[in-house]
Amino acid sequence: MLELRDIVVRYGHNQGAVTAVDEVSLTVAAGSVVGLVGESGSGKSTLARAAVGLAPLTSGTILWKGAGLDPRGRPPLQYVFQDPYASLNPRMSVGASIAEGLPRASGRQERPARVTELLEMVRLDPGDVHKRPRQLSGGQRQRVAIARALAAEPEVLIADEITSALDVSVQGAVLNLLKEIQTRTGVGILFISHNLAVVRYIADSIAVMKSGRLVEHGTTEDVIERSAHPYTKQLLEAVPTMTMGNGRS
Amino acid sequence: MSWSRTRHHLSSPLGVVTVALLLLLVATAVVAPLLLGDRATEIAGGALQAGPSAAHPFGTDALGRDVLTRTLVATRLSLVLALLVVGIGVACGLIIGTVPVVLGRRAGRAVVAVLNLMVAFPGLLLALFLAMIFGVGARGAVLSMAIAFAPSFARLTHTTASGVANADYVSAARLLRVPRWRILIRHVIPNISEPLVINATSQVGAALLSISALSYIGFGVQPPQYDWGRMLADGLPAIYTNPAAALAPSIMIVVAGLAFVLAGELLTQVLGGSQHGHLRLPSLRSQRRDMAPAETPPPGEEVLRIERLTVTVPGETAPFSPVVDVSMRLRRGEIVGLVGESGSGKSLTAMAVAQLTSYPNVAEADVHQIKGNELRRMRPRDRERLLGTSLAMVFQDPMSSLNPTLKVGRQLAEVAETHERLGRRDAWRRAVDRLSAVLITDPQARAKQYPMAFSGGMRQRASIAMGLMAQPALIVADEPTTALDVTVQKEVLGLLRRISRESDAAVLMISHDIAVVAENASRVLVMYAGRVVEELPVSGLAEAAHPYTRALIASIPDMSTDRSRPLANIPGRPPHASDLPPGCAFAPRCGRADDRCRQARPELADSGGGGAVACWHPLLPVLESEA
Ligand SMILES: Nc1ncnc2c1ncn2[C@@H]1O[C@H](COP(=O)(O)OP(=O)(O)O)[C@@H](O)[C@H]1O
Ligand code: SF4
Ligand SMILES: [Mg+2]
Repeated sequence: MLELRDIVVRYGHNQGAVTAVDEVSLTVAAGSVVGLVGESGSGKSTLARAAVGLAPLTSGTILWKGAGLDPRGRPPLQYVFQDPYASLNPRMSVGASIAEGLPRASGRQERPARVTELLEMVRLDPGDVHKRPRQLSGGQRQRVAIARALAAEPEVLIADEITSALDVSVQGAVLNLLKEIQTRTGVGILFISHNLAVVRYIADSIAVMKSGRLVEHGTTEDVIERSAHPYTKQLLEAVPTMTMGNGRS
Repeated sequence: MSWSRTRHHLSSPLGVVTVALLLLLVATAVVAPLLLGDRATEIAGGALQAGPSAAHPFGTDALGRDVLTRTLVATRLSLVLALLVVGIGVACGLIIGTVPVVLGRRAGRAVVAVLNLMVAFPGLLLALFLAMIFGVGARGAVLSMAIAFAPSFARLTHTTASGVANADYVSAARLLRVPRWRILIRHVIPNISEPLVINATSQVGAALLSISALSYIGFGVQPPQYDWGRMLADGLPAIYTNPAAALAPSIMIVVAGLAFVLAGELLTQVLGGSQHGHLRLPSLRSQRRDMAPAETPPPGEEVLRIERLTVTVPGETAPFSPVVDVSMRLRRGEIVGLVGESGSGKSLTAMAVAQLTSYPNVAEADVHQIKGNELRRMRPRDRERLLGTSLAMVFQDPMSSLNPTLKVGRQLAEVAETHERLGRRDAWRRAVDRLSAVLITDPQARAKQYPMAFSGGMRQRASIAMGLMAQPALIVADEPTTALDVTVQKEVLGLLRRISRESDAAVLMISHDIAVVAENASRVLVMYAGRVVEELPVSGLAEAAHPYTRALIASIPDMSTDRSRPLANIPGRPPHASDLPPGCAFAPRCGRADDRCRQARPELADSGGGGAVACWHPLLPVLESEA
C-alpha cells in the first residue's frame, strides 16, 4: 500500500514561495479507492504528482509497503492524466503507446497478445491498435491512456481528473470501466476530481483538500452524510442537481 | 498530414512553382556535369572574355571557356556544398539541442548558456574566423559555415524540444521507466521534426549564399574547382567588358536561394496545416432567396430572433456546415440554455449570434434581429453600435476578453468610452461600479490591478463586468463556468441569474453540462450534430421527448445515484459534421432507431409538451416506465 507522510511541496523561494501541499498524510490501501476532492489550486494534483516523482518533494516521505520507493525497479504506481489530448504521443500508434507500458521482461512474442488483451479490457476494438490518437475521440483516448497505465501492472493507479476533459455522455462509460477494472484486478486507485457526485460514485473513502491542507478524510458515507468541515458542506451544496427550474423560482 | 491535403497544397501556384524549380535544380545538378563537364573546361581559343554571342549566350571567361556551360555545371558543387553545410549543421544542432533533454536539468542549463552566447555572436564573423583556422578550400568553408550555423539550430531544437519534454505523454513515459534515449527518439524527436525540417529547408538558401560569399572572397572553392561564388569572383574583374559573366552565376544563386525559401514555405503549409489557401464556398444565399422569412412583427419583448442560422467552414477538402438551420427567440429577462456534446456546434452558434464569425467561416441566416432590428439590413456602423451596446459575450476563458497588459478598470472604462463616448472619469467610475456589481470586493483597488492578479473566478466576473459596461439586452455566455470549480461555478451562475433578473437582460447560456442549464435556465435547446433536436421548458426535462435528451440527463451522476449499478452512458460518439449519416444523426447511437430513422431526417415539430422535438419516435410522458 501507498503511504504519503507529511508531504510538503513548496514552489519558488523566499517571499514568492507558494506552499502547494502543506503537511498532508494520506494512505491508499491495496484494493481500495480513495477519492480526493477540492477546488482547483487546492493541491490535489501536486500531491499526486509528488507521489510519483513528477513534482519535487520539499519534505515528507513516500512509503511503499513500509519502505521507500525504488527509483529503478518496476514502478508500483501509475498515473492517468487529465487531458487525453495531451497525454498521448500524437506520432505513436495506440498499440505502440500501450506496449511502452509493458514490463521490459515480457517477451517479444507475447507483447502483441498483451496489447490486444489490454485493449479489450478497456473496451476498445483490438483493430484500433494501429490508429493514431487523432483518429480517436476523447473518451477513446482516455481508455488508451488507462490501458497504457495498466500495462505496467501497477498496484496503485492515480487518476487525476480523468473525466474532466470528457463530455458527460462519455464520462459514465469511463467511470464504469474504471470501477470494473478495479473489481477485477484489485488495483488500488487514488481518484482525484472536483466533482463530488463523481467521487461519491466511485470511491470508498473521501479526502477533502483546501489550500494545500487536508481538511477532512473519512468513509464516503461519513463525508457525504455527516460532513464535519464547513468547506465540505460548501462543496456538497455546489453540486449541480437535476432538480429543474429551481433557479428561476 | 493527409495525402489529399498534400496534393491540395502541391497543386497551388506556390506548390507548382516550388516543385518545378527544385526539380529543375536537381536535374541540372545531376545531368549538367555528365553532359557538359568536358565542354565546360574546353578552351575555345581566341575569344577571351568575349561578350554574349550565339555560341556563348553569356560570353566566355578569362580563359575563353563558355560561361553558361560552366554555370550549369557548377550547380552540382554549389548545391552539394550548401546541403553539406545544412546537413552537418543540423546534425550538430540536433545533438547539442537535445542533450539537455537527455542529461537532465543541470547539464541542460550549462548547454543553454553556452548556446545563447554563441547565437549572440555574428555567424558570418565566426565562419570567417573558423575558415582562417581550417585554411582555404571547400572543406574548410563547409565546416566553418556548418559550425557557425549549428548554434542557432541547436537553440531552435532546444526550445521546441523542451516544450515537448514537458508534455504529459513524456511524463507518462518517464513514469513507465522508458529509458531517456528512447524517450528522445520516440517521443521528442518525432514531435519536433516538423519545425526543424521547415527551418533546415529554408536555411539551405542561406547556406548557399554564405558559401558563395566565402568562395567569392577566396576562402572557399579553389581552382580548378568552381562553384557559383568562384565564378562570380572570376567574372567581376571583367564586369565592364562582359557583365553577363557575372550575371549568370548571380541569377543562379538568387533562383536557387529562392527555391529553398519557397520550399520552406510550402513545407510549413503542408506540415503545419495552414487552413488558408484557396477556399471555395458554395453560395448558400442564392439557394435561399426564394424562402421568405416568416413575417410576424417583432414584439417589443423580443431581444434576439434568429431563423435558420447556418455556419459553413472550409474543411480539409470540401466545405461543410457544423451548424444547420438553428432558430431561436429570446425574450427580455429570459435565460435560455443551449446544451450538447462538444463539437455539436454550440460555440459556432454563439459566435454567429454575436456576429463574430470570422473568415474563413461563413454564417448565414434568414432572419437575424436584435431588439427588433434586422442586422442584415443595417449599415455596418449602426450594426456595430447596436451590437456594442446591446450584446455582451462571456467566454469560457475570461482571458480571451481581458487584455493582460491593461489594468482591469481601464479595460472596462474603455468600453464605455468607445461605445457611449463617456469621459474618462465617468467611465472609470462606471467600471468600479460594475466591478462591485459582480461582487468583486474592494473594487476601487481591484480596478487598478492587472488581470493576472485575479483568480480564475474573479477574472470571469471581471469579464462579465465588462459585458455590463453598456446595458446589454442580451448576454451570450459560452461555457462560462466550465473552467471553474463547482463552488466558484455556483457563484458565477448566480451572478448571471441576478443580472438577468435585475436588468431584464436575456441570457443565452451555453454548456455541455445539462445540469448547469437545468439549474439556471427556464428553457433549453438541445443541439446534436449541428441541429437543434429538442426545445423544451426546463420543467419538462425529466419527460424530454427526444431519446438523446433523455440519455444526456441519465448519464449525469448526482448525489443520489445508485453506487452499486453501472452509470448510464451513450454508446458510440457523435458523427463529425462533415460526415453525417443520411437520416437522423443520432440513429447510430439510438436504441429506438429503425429503418425510417436511418433513411429520413426528422424535422423539428411540436412535441405537445410545450416544446418541439425532431424525432420519428419521441418518448411520450405516458409511456415512461420507472422499472
Ligand atoms: N474554425 C473552424 N474550422 C473548421 N471547423 C471548425 C471550426 N470551428 C469549429 N469547427 C468544427 O465545428 C464543429 C462544432 O464546433 P463548436 O461550435 O466549437 O462545438 P461546441 O462549442 O459545441 O463544442 C466541430 O466539428 C468543429 O470541429
Ligand atoms: S429519429 Fe429515430 S434514431 Fe433519431 S432520435 Fe428519434 S428514434 Fe432515435
Ligand atoms: Mg465550445
